[in-house]
Amino acid sequence: MSAPAGRVPDRLRVAVLASSAAAQDRLATLVARCGHQLVEAAASPDAVLTDGAADAVLPAAAVAVGAVSGEFAGWLPPDAGTAQVDAALRAVVAGLTVRAAPKKTRSFDSLPEEPPVLLTPREIEVLGALGNGMTNKEAARLLGISPHTVKFHIESLFRKLGAASRAEAVAKGMRQQIVEF
Amino acid sequence: MADVAENPLINLSDALAERVRLARPLIAGIAVPGHRMRSGTLWRKDVVVASEQRFPDVGDAKVTLADGSAFTAHVAGRDPGTNIVALRVDGTPDPAPLPAGQPQPGGLALAIGADDSGIAVRLGIIHSVGPSWHSRAGGRIDRRITLDIGVTPREEGGPVLDAGGGLLGISTLGPRGRVLVIPAVTVEAVLDPLLSKGRVERGWLGLALQPVLVPEALQAEAGQSRGLMVMSVSKDGPGAQANLHAGDIVVKIGGESVTNPSAVAQYLGPDSVGKQVELRLIRADKPLSIRITAGIRPSR
Repeated sequence: MSAPAGRVPDRLRVAVLASSAAAQDRLATLVARCGHQLVEAAASPDAVLTDGAADAVLPAAAVAVGAVSGEFAGWLPPDAGTAQVDAALRAVVAGLTVRAAPKKTRSFDSLPEEPPVLLTPREIEVLGALGNGMTNKEAARLLGISPHTVKFHIESLFRKLGAASRAEAVAKGMRQQIVEF
Repeated sequence: MADVAENPLINLSDALAERVRLARPLIAGIAVPGHRMRSGTLWRKDVVVASEQRFPDVGDAKVTLADGSAFTAHVAGRDPGTNIVALRVDGTPDPAPLPAGQPQPGGLALAIGADDSGIAVRLGIIHSVGPSWHSRAGGRIDRRITLDIGVTPREEGGPVLDAGGGLLGISTLGPRGRVLVIPAVTVEAVLDPLLSKGRVERGWLGLALQPVLVPEALQAEAGQSRGLMVMSVSKDGPGAQANLHAGDIVVKIGGESVTNPSAVAQYLGPDSVGKQVELRLIRADKPLSIRITAGIRPSR
């Protein structure tokens, strides 16, 4: 689909196509809250908001809220709020496709096998202190060792992790895998 | 003109289509109101299995088989450990069982899912076949089978067949879009507890462990250079009850050396719940043995 010329108007003409009167009301309320004009489906709307159950042939610029199946340019979860609905309507009118970002969950994965580098318990403690933004002196006081020893551990951390700075060591060291059993 | 029956491409094509035809009664489309469609596999009469990850937290669903027949389903049990959710679907036909699949690297595989037109089929090869492995969620998966086939979240959970039409297992999306197969034997092993209890109980120590290098001075004492350091202890968990502390380094479980997370996971299968096991530790530079009784791993 080619992008329409010009800007997307501030106030869109939006039709609502829903499977029930209750859904129709709910979607119409969302359109109103977005500040758009509610129009009939036959009045060549800029976009259509639907619950996905409408049998009507939808124009390309359709946003479905909580739909289970179908082909829509915009696809929002059932609990989508005004901000998401407004952004999705504008985006589909501009010729874009909209999907809600998936919830961030770790996908099904295996346990980590061989860690790339193994740190000693002391190095892990020193790394934790660096991660909390401590100076060598502060880390030494916290761990009850001399600042010289802290420096020794930091050099070892840099070498093992291939890090050139404290920040890099912390970032790489954080990837060390902790597993809950 | 060559005889059509002699054309090897048409023969291959027909053979694949025949495999799919036989598997077609197993393909289940699963609809949960307010969520996208997903796929499942009619595993036995009245039971559909699907991928557990990202399966909505609901009790009921609608299952549609490839012939268009629709059924009311309810979620009977979930196992994040093996990524299997079991749905009880009363009234389904008893599907003709497929033979057991034989995974071999480089062999052809068919991954089938549900879609609006009934079924969606993908063809590719088996990318790798390895030994058993443990998931991060604690489950033991009998073989590590990965596919060189892309599967969408909608198709995930459908059956995967080998070239002979044998059932390898169900498709699962792994990290970075890799597609894994949860083997049929693994599904079988968790299905009964899922249907009867709603979950699979596995052992739990209530410890967060990280692989560490045992300090050099203690390596002789420990008898090994690697161990697992306790990073945190769950409040009131088995580790806390056994008086373990952050900083303890676990070097042996039940007399066996543990140097990586899988070694621990092996001790925490369903049989370990309620059983006592001896942990060999290094605490404050001294060796120490502690007995711990495994609890039941919380579901999340």
